[in-house]
Amino acid sequence: MPERQVQGPTTRPTEAELVERLRAGDVHALETIMERHASRVYRVARGITRTDGDAEEVVQDVFTTLYQKIDSFEGRSSLGTWMYRVATNAALIKRRGKRATLEVSLEEQLPTFRDDGHREGERSFVLADWSQRPDQELLQGEARRAIEAALDALPEHYRAVLVLRDVEELSNEDVAAALGESVASIKSRLHRARMALREHLTRFHHGATAERSQ
Amino acid sequence: MAKQARMTCRRAIDLLADYLEATLGPEVATDLEQHLEGCAPCRAYLATYAKTRAVAASAARAEMPAEMQQRVRQFLLKALKRA
Repeated sequence: MPERQVQGPTTRPTEAELVERLRAGDVHALETIMERHASRVYRVARGITRTDGDAEEVVQDVFTTLYQKIDSFEGRSSLGTWMYRVATNAALIKRRGKRATLEVSLEEQLPTFRDDGHREGERSFVLADWSQRPDQELLQGEARRAIEAALDALPEHYRAVLVLRDVEELSNEDVAAALGESVASIKSRLHRARMALREHLTRFHHGATAERSQ
Repeated sequence: MAKQARMTCRRAIDLLADYLEATLGPEVATDLEQHLEGCAPCRAYLATYAKTRAVAASAARAEMPAEMQQRVRQFLLKALKRA
């Protein structure tokens, strides 16, 4: 008969236990929370700020805030959701003052339509379909730089939603909770962000195709 | 009952996010699919919209470098000792 595994002091502590220990000033609890959450905090921070240096400072800020303000964590949301909220706010604050240099108006990046509801634009452009190209081709070299430029050009509040929804794969409801906004507003911003990126990438791939065929 | 708005390219594109998440009502989804069947630009739009979502997520997904993780840990331990 197989031996029963005895759960000893090595059992993974629950979130509630870690929070309690952190409230009591246990630094090891903070380390454990870091091990569990630092990667996602970094992904959000890097995704929004777009630089390693700023992202590192955001991660530091988030865990310092967690330690200092753990008493204000009421446990109404999960610690993960709370950290997404703190990380997103810290990253957006970090981006202030930098937006004018990189971002362009979103309206310029959205599709336009004729009065009858059909899309405006040259026929070869509205029919351009680069979706069958292999990911390797789409994620390297000039094509990769085009994606990076398109992400840089998104206004930060749009990029924040895109990162939380499409990179972190949170639900619309969780993104709304993390940002303190309505689900309708999150859905609208996400759709506009994706459309703007799509437009940018289609201009790039359509232009590259036209150049090749000349 | 109010008649659904005529399916135009503008309306079709408005519905794409919900269509990809399969959260559209059956009637609207059918209207959209009928529109897509007859509209090559909207088919191209849907395909590139879905692909954009995938490649942008891949490009924006950054893993925290191990040395950074170590630096942040050291920073916090020092900061907490000082506090």
